[in-house]
Amino acid sequence: MPARNHNQWKANPPLKGGEWIDSRIYSDPEIYEQELEDIFKKVWVPICHESELPDPYDFRTATIAREPVVVARGPDNVVRAFLNVCPHRGMMIERRPSGSFEEAAPSGNPKRMTCMFHGWQYDMKGNCVYISREKEGYQDRLCKEDTGLRRLRCEVNFGGFIWVSLDDKVMSLEDWCGDAFKCIRKPLEAEPLEIFHYHKAVIGTNYKLWHDTNSEFYHDFMHYHNRVTGFNDAYFARENTAFKHGHVNVGSFEVQYDEYEGFESRAELSFPGLPPNQWYMVDLFPGMNFNLRGSALRCDIVTPLGPDKVMIEFRGFGLKSDTPEERRTRIDHHNSIWGPFGRNLHEDLIGVAGQGSAMLPGSENRRILHGRHENNLIHDEVGMRHYYDEWGKWMNRLPSDPSQPYMPAEAAE
Amino acid sequence: MSWRRICAADSVALNSLKKFEVDGIPVVVANYGDGFRVFPPICPHMEEPLEESGLIEGKVLTCTKHLWQWNLATCQMEGTETEKLMHFYDVKQEGDDLLAFIKSEHIYEFDEEDEMDDDDFFNS
Ligand code: FES
Ligand code: FES
Ligand SMILES: [Fe+2]
Repeated sequence: MPARNHNQWKANPPLKGGEWIDSRIYSDPEIYEQELEDIFKKVWVPICHESELPDPYDFRTATIAREPVVVARGPDNVVRAFLNVCPHRGMMIERRPSGSFEEAAPSGNPKRMTCMFHGWQYDMKGNCVYISREKEGYQDRLCKEDTGLRRLRCEVNFGGFIWVSLDDKVMSLEDWCGDAFKCIRKPLEAEPLEIFHYHKAVIGTNYKLWHDTNSEFYHDFMHYHNRVTGFNDAYFARENTAFKHGHVNVGSFEVQYDEYEGFESRAELSFPGLPPNQWYMVDLFPGMNFNLRGSALRCDIVTPLGPDKVMIEFRGFGLKSDTPEERRTRIDHHNSIWGPFGRNLHEDLIGVAGQGSAMLPGSENRRILHGRHENNLIHDEVGMRHYYDEWGKWMNRLPSDPSQPYMPAEAAE
Repeated sequence: MSWRRICAADSVALNSLKKFEVDGIPVVVANYGDGFRVFPPICPHMEEPLEESGLIEGKVLTCTKHLWQWNLATCQMEGTETEKLMHFYDVKQEGDDLLAFIKSEHIYEFDEEDEMDDDDFFNS
């Protein structure tokens, strides 16, 4: 095909409905706002892992769809989530990313969350326990019973991850993604996991583009390491499986780590019940990823910061029972591929940053092709097609023409 | 044997508070001029560590967090804010040593609210 003029370039590709989408959904500020409202405020989001709050009064803060959230472990060992917003005059209560409430904040008391602005305090169950000059200021018109925190739905599941939803009426977490976790549930839940790696990156791209790169594997052409340790018959036989609510699994095969110079087999430190050197991926709508490569688990959580900006938090996990030596080896396995200076991660980031810079808000919309069919196997784009069909339902928009209401791909042809 | 040695009497300066641990039990010693008082180390209001928040002036102990006050000479509440008595262990001086009568650690009760069952909570 020769190069195309502007009209030719703007024409739709000769593919079927659902096999391409409009790049506007990655750049339009209005669509982005609607995603926060209609998706991120309605689904379950993993915030962190329970090993990040090992002791009573430990806490971690996060943001879901711009709403500040705090999760804290109570003296009863139960982890609860609250909106991190003071019922008095709306200040963010806790501003540290993590820490402990066991010791008092300068204007508060031990074992309480204190809003430093006017010293109101809350216990680990979200009860308001102190209002400064309550009687003098409010007489009998308002009291602590009226000013508790907003508690949020919170569950610990699938290997100790802490999940929060801003929607009180959200479906159960098990219904939401239990199916999609089935393939790695045993290895994740056989014994307690422990975080050993955390870093985050703010990338100039749309959050869905990061999820796309976790859901398709033919970009392994970009990953030299994966070609060397992977490309064989079993690799190409890996299957993509779609689950309800837009989630996807990428099936496993045996990776030949020792084919790559300086790397070694991970068989000895396989997660419990996982056959040696296997590799599973669980991609959750709308943008979380659990990636188990034999001896180490990686989890990506996205926080969209704008149509063209996303914060990605990367965590690595081993078994809590690891000996120091085992842990060192796991960290090595994790970092050599996925660490900030690992073999693969920066390649993925270059890919999505390149897309992001070509799809800035205001850039002309283009067609993004998702039309590869290879019997749902590893280089098939079924994962992304499944995701965008779900996206269309939540947004009531057609991914290939977001000004139109949603309809199933077959009908959109 | 519940009289326990806490410290040397001269180790707590006039109008000051100091924390000690006796057989695993934490206490604070206050020197208010006419003598000493020994009590649990946290404020009965909201668990503030008194060795940091406490101030003694004119025989009155003030927790500077929210200004609850107790008279150390009479052991009674003082001021307008205070809502709870402080627990004082009996105290005596033997030679250079300060002793307190501590059968067991005194634990204040802080109200805790019960919680609704999750489903009720989010569906009501
Ligand atoms: S805004 Fe929090 S105490 Fe006033
Ligand atoms: S904590 Fe001591 S007065 Fe409130
Ligand atoms: Fe990749």
